[in-house]
Formats: sequence, C-alpha cells, structure tokens
Amino acid sequence: MDESRPIFVQIAEQVENDIIGGLMAEESQVPSTNEFAAFYRINPATALKGVNLLVDDGVLYKKRGIGMFVAGGAKARLIAKRRDRFSAEFLAPLLAEAEKLGVTPQQLKSMIDKEGTK
Amino acid sequence: MTTAQFTKVIPTTEFQRVGRIVRLHFANPWTTIGLPWIILGSIFLVNLAIWWIIFASVTSASDRADVSDGLQYSGASFYIFVYMLVVAVQAISITFPFALGYGVTRRDYYLGTTLNFVILSAIYSAGLTVLSIVEELTNGWGMGGRMFTAVYFGDGWAQRLYLFFVGFLFFFFIGSLFASVYVRWKANGLVALFIGLGVLVVAVAALATFTQGWGVVGAFFGRAGLVGSVSWSLVITALAAVAGFLVLRRATPRG
Amino acid sequence: MTAVIEVQHLSKHYRDVRAVDDATFAVEENKIYGLLGRNGAGKTTLMQLLTGQEFATRGSIRVFGESPVENAGVLQNISFIKESQRYPDDFRPRHVFASAPWFFANWDAAFAAQLIEEFRVPLNRRIKKLSRGQVSAIGVIVGLASRAPLTFFDEPYLGLDAVARQLFYDRLLEDYAEHPRTVVLSTHLIDEVSNLLEHVIVIDEGRIIIDEEAETLRGSATSVVGTRAAVDAFVAGREILHRDGVGGLASVTVEGLDARARAAASAAGLELAPVSLQQLIIRRTSTSEKEFEATA
Repeated sequence: MDESRPIFVQIAEQVENDIIGGLMAEESQVPSTNEFAAFYRINPATALKGVNLLVDDGVLYKKRGIGMFVAGGAKARLIAKRRDRFSAEFLAPLLAEAEKLGVTPQQLKSMIDKEGTK
Repeated sequence: MTTAQFTKVIPTTEFQRVGRIVRLHFANPWTTIGLPWIILGSIFLVNLAIWWIIFASVTSASDRADVSDGLQYSGASFYIFVYMLVVAVQAISITFPFALGYGVTRRDYYLGTTLNFVILSAIYSAGLTVLSIVEELTNGWGMGGRMFTAVYFGDGWAQRLYLFFVGFLFFFFIGSLFASVYVRWKANGLVALFIGLGVLVVAVAALATFTQGWGVVGAFFGRAGLVGSVSWSLVITALAAVAGFLVLRRATPRG
Repeated sequence: MTAVIEVQHLSKHYRDVRAVDDATFAVEENKIYGLLGRNGAGKTTLMQLLTGQEFATRGSIRVFGESPVENAGVLQNISFIKESQRYPDDFRPRHVFASAPWFFANWDAAFAAQLIEEFRVPLNRRIKKLSRGQVSAIGVIVGLASRAPLTFFDEPYLGLDAVARQLFYDRLLEDYAEHPRTVVLSTHLIDEVSNLLEHVIVIDEGRIIIDEEAETLRGSATSVVGTRAAVDAFVAGREILHRDGVGGLASVTVEGLDARARAAASAAGLELAPVSLQQLIIRRTSTSEKEFEATA
C-alpha cells in the first residue's frame, strides 16, 4: 500500500485493474468485503469504502443476499476513463521531464518508437 | 439515554458472578488443596517416626502414659493454620489483578473470595476432625501419639470441628486483610499496617499493665473457656473481613 | 452512530503527574480503534480508567452508557489484555483457557484451540517457565477468543516475533470481520497496525492530540523536499509539523496539500514525499513537546 493516498482509493484502483486486465470478468462475482480486508490486511470498513466507491461509479453492483458483481460494460468504461486520465497522469510529467533534460518532442517520439519495438 | 441499543452479552446473576470467582480459585487446586495436605502428611509421617522411636525406647505402661500426656501439647498441626494465611495472601495478591482483567468487579471478587475461604475452612476443619477421630479410635495411631487431638483443639469431635473452623476463618481473613493492603498500597502499606498493629498490641498491653488489669483479662478468658475465647476471635475475623473489603474496594491492579 | 465509550474532561493525576489530562473523546461501536502514543504517554492509565480499574480524578466516563466503576453489567462485556499480564503463580496455560469461558459469555472454544495451535502455546508448562512471547500469546488468545463486545489490547505482544504479530493481526481482522465488535488496540508499533485501524486516537503527555479517522489522517501530511530557499518560499504561511535540513537542502512536513498546491510544488521543482501515520504521529508528538516546554 502506498502511504500517500487513502487505502480505499487504492483498493478500488486494484479492483479496476483486475477488471481491465480481465482477471475479473463482467457479470462475475467479486470477493466479499471481508475477503478483500483479509487479503490486503486492512480494516473491513476501509475495504467496504473502496467497494462502495466502485458501486457508486457503476463498476460493481450488489445482488441482495448473494454478493457483489462486475457490471456489464464495466471494462470498456474503465478503459475509457483511464484513457482520459492518461494524458494528464503520464504524458504531462513525461513532457516536463523531457523539457528539463533538453529532449525535443522529435527525439522523444523516436525514443518511444525504439522502446515499443523491444 | 437507554443502553439497550448496544450489543451486549447475556447478563449474569449475582450468584453466577460470585460462583465463578470461587471456581477461579479452584481452577488449580494444587496450592490451596494439594500442597497443604502433602506438607501436613509429611509432618505427620515425621511425627509418626518420632512417636515410634519414643514408643520403642519407653517400655513401661506408666512411662508411656506420661509420654502421651506430654504429646497432647503437640503444635505440629499449627503450621496448617499459618499456611492458610499465606494461601489467602497469595490468592488475593495474584488472582485480584487477573480477575479484574476478566471484567470482574471488586465487590464480586471479594464476595467470591470470601466464600472460597469459608469453603476451604470447612474442608480443612472437616479433614482435621476426621483425622482427630481416627487418632482417638486408634489410640494415637497405636503409639499414643497426638497431633490432631492436642488439648487446645478441645474435647470431643464436635468441639474440635468448631474450633478448627473458627481458627481457619481467623487466619484466612487476617491473610485477606494483609493481601488487600498489599494490593492497594504495596509494601509500604504492609509496613504501616504492621507498625500500627504493633503499636496497638503494645498499647493494650501497657493499658493492662498500668491498670493492673491482667487479672481481669485472665479472668475474662477463664470465664469464657476455650470455646468462648476462640469464639471471640470471630469478632476480629469479621472486622478483618470488612476492613479487607473496604481496602480492596478502592484498589487498582498494577504491575 | 452509537458511542460505546464517551469520555468527557477526564483527568487522572498521581501527585504531580498528569497521567491523563482533560481527555474528551468517544469510541463508536464495532470499530477498531488505535490508541497510539509513546511509552508513558498515558495509554495504560486511560484504559484502566475505561475498564473501572483506575479511579478518575475528574471528569466523566460512560461505557455502554453507564459508569464502568464496579458495574458488573458493563464490565462483563469487556476483555482487557494487558502488557505483561500476570497470571496466578501456579497456573499453567490450560488453567487460563479453562477458566476464561466462565467469564466471557461469547467465548469460542474451537477458535481458542485453533489459536493455541497456531501460536504454539504449551498447555501444560507452568506459566512462570514460559518465554515472554508465549505468555503474551496467552493474552492474545484470551483477547481474541473471548469475543467481548469491547476488547482492549494494551501492547499485547511483548516478546512476540514478527511472524506471531502478523498472525495476531490476521486473526484479529478475520474474526472481527465475522464477529464485529469494538476493539481498542494500544501500541507504539504504529506502522504495523496502521492499516487495521478505522480510527486513531493519539495521546501524548496525557492529552488527546489526535482523534481522527485513519483514512483522513493518511496522506494528510506531506514532506516537501528541495533547496532551502524554494522550500521556505513554498511553506510560508502553512502550518509546519516538522523541519529538517542538511546543507542547502530542507525537508519540511506540512499538512493538507491540495491538488493545486501539489502542482505548484512540482512546478517549483520541489519533491513531495508521503508521510506515514507513524512519522506523522512522531512529528505531532514532538511538536507538542516543544509547545509544552515553551509554556512550562
């Protein structure tokens, strides 16, 4: 766990990653709050908060008395959301660092091409 | 505000709460039951050996009667009374902080401990009485030995049973007071208590001496007789029991 | 929310020592609380007050809505496991586990047996002969298996190794999830337990200096690292928790940086480092120590 951010946010992101990565299929049941808590060694209330965050976002939904399931279309929506953030979270710092080091956008592109063919 | 909104355990009755303290004291009966009888048993065996040596070396019937006369002042069983004082001190100083961690009130703890001491007194006085009856029936274990029928234990089994019982109560509750003082004020408290008791004894003795009252004291105990005199100890026992509770009621377990 | 414990202006003085000094807080039902602070900060005294073992100098305590002092109706719901708990001299662990169920209505014998196995407690050896860690394990097992509605663990793991402590945390979390109850865990090993806690109360010199949800505290402070001039310019006007420096570099811990402030810090070439709960508490307690000295 990363110390700088609330744990429940990190739990939610972890579940999102698992959905994006295909580990948790749409319409499949996800582990219970208590299972999350035991696995990540965190307070169950914190795990619940993380799961509720995903319920509010429509990524997960509750089936009464049965448990929590991945919503249909959740994967596509999560990918779209992550793409929106990609530029701000990854490109902006990359460009800032490149500028600091005197790497031109042109050089940067060729670096990316080279890295991609590895 | 009501308290019903909380998830709590099923309430217990006073009887259950006091009863479980008694059980706690008996959880490991070794110190309170096992060890004292083993020590008493070994003292008894040593006495048997001594009686046998005397019995073997003294042969005439009249001399043997003299020996038996002398043995009636045996103090061999006194140890067990003093040991009970130690048992009481240990029981309280160690189980008190332990029991409070189990969510026990001082009041329930003291009531249960008191009941435990009464039960132990009954067990020990019954045991000693049975032994004294056997001692009588076997004519001093066949050798004129006397350990449980010493003169200061009275005459006849009923009287002995009573005197044993009252004697045990006395030592248990004196021990209980000492332990309570120790639990509350540690060693300093005990030192103060002993100094206080010492001063009291000296004061009473001085009073008796200066008022030439020793005769009166002697006459009092003479009139009261053995049973009456020992019965008066119940007053001290009761005072010690109440004082022990008052001290323990405000004690905090530490260390 | 129902408060299992409500404390108002509570003080406990021993001659000239203020072990607990005007404490006011509440503990809500079925949450895990961390009672954190340095050794001698007043944690044990506070728990003794809450369990009716110690008598308050001033203030009021309500546990399950009533005063806990000599109140069997309240106390039978409480399990208080103390650091270096003493056991009767002649007891063996089996005597402890045999007698505990008489006092704890919710005692789970199967769970206790499982824990005895996992912590490898020798049932038939005299407690006097056990290692420090084994004695601590007895307390931990009683505290867990008793399932008391209100359970206090006061530094329960003296002598327990890292493996056994992790076992304790894991079993506590699992069992708490299945059987919710109020747990107050007092410790100075803050980093180890910080993820278990839902709420944190920090006591220092007898005073409550933090009373906050754990998630709110997490990330509430940030260390700003960079050249002295740049750091000073950035933190001007902010509340400084801690300041450190070497040569021309400075590291200053401040509270509550929002996204804009973070962006500004990056733009100014400053590095931002997260502050763990433990660091945060160390910094807060040393701050108040200085304040204390200043007013003394």
